[in-house]
Amino acid sequence: MQKILVWDWPVRIGHWLMVGGFVIAWLTSESETFRLLHVWAGSAVISVAAFRLIWGVVGTRHARFSSFVRGPRAVLAYVGSLLRLQPLHHTGHNPAGGWAIVALLALGVLTGASGWATYNELGGHWLEELHEGLAAAMLAVVLVHLAGVFSGSLLHGENLVRAMLTGRKTGEPGEAISSARPLAAVALVAWLFTAGWWLTS
Amino acid sequence: MKTIAILLLTGASLLSHAGTPQQIGQAYAQEAGSQTPGFTASAARGKDFFLRRFDVNAKMPACTACHTDNPLAAGQHAVTGKAIRPLAVSANGERLSDPAKVEKWFGRNCKEVLGRACSAAEKADFVAYMSEVR
Repeated sequence: MQKILVWDWPVRIGHWLMVGGFVIAWLTSESETFRLLHVWAGSAVISVAAFRLIWGVVGTRHARFSSFVRGPRAVLAYVGSLLRLQPLHHTGHNPAGGWAIVALLALGVLTGASGWATYNELGGHWLEELHEGLAAAMLAVVLVHLAGVFSGSLLHGENLVRAMLTGRKTGEPGEAISSARPLAAVALVAWLFTAGWWLTS
Repeated sequence: MKTIAILLLTGASLLSHAGTPQQIGQAYAQEAGSQTPGFTASAARGKDFFLRRFDVNAKMPACTACHTDNPLAAGQHAVTGKAIRPLAVSANGERLSDPAKVEKWFGRNCKEVLGRACSAAEKADFVAYMSEVR
């Protein structure tokens, strides 16, 4: 086992864009003065999530849903191993983290879509309430995700936050991805601005 | 997913809280009366409040920054430019029909424009003005 490249650039940049977008959107949620910033932040979340859904099919090995979306038995086995303080090692996402990602992407799309519909007054007060409920659900999953990341980091003795910055994790050399796919990350940023411009106009 | 289902149900249950402008105004007047015995809501004071400049927020110094000084007219968001339907019940029958919505927007907008929560008396006067103006 050694340090190998696991997370490509679109995964990493997308992750931190989503973090930034979610935090800004949450902090500006009650404000009319910062309403445009809120809408931009929300656009970042939904456009990154939408990109990630496609990247989960065509992206690099550990970015693909097929590599980390596992059944309930695998999730229970992993959570059980965490509780016994002997976590099972997964080079990519662990089975519990995999579901957190699926939930966050789904909530990112739904919260963004309901927010966009609210902003364009396509529904009534109920849409506003739905948007707030979805955002609260997303915050709950974010907190579970953070708890998993920090407990996993401690138990594995591997800084998973740093791994999401550098892309490097412990694994077998054969599990490494061969390219960090920088051009796809450029496409992600271009898509972010295009979608953001369209969603906020 | 279960959380979402619960939140959807909560959202749906919020829809059923209907009320009339009179009921909503009465609730605020009652609250104000428990703080100041003998309080009665005044549409005239509500109008003064609506037109007052608080100058706490440069972009939104007063209610009128977005709602214009005529509650019968449509307003325009000072930041986004989005249209805002009239506040007055006589011009927009959807106004003051949902106590939770009214309380939510008092909560948001008072904090933003006044820099503090509105008192029950201010809310009662404001509701009286928006119910009566035509």
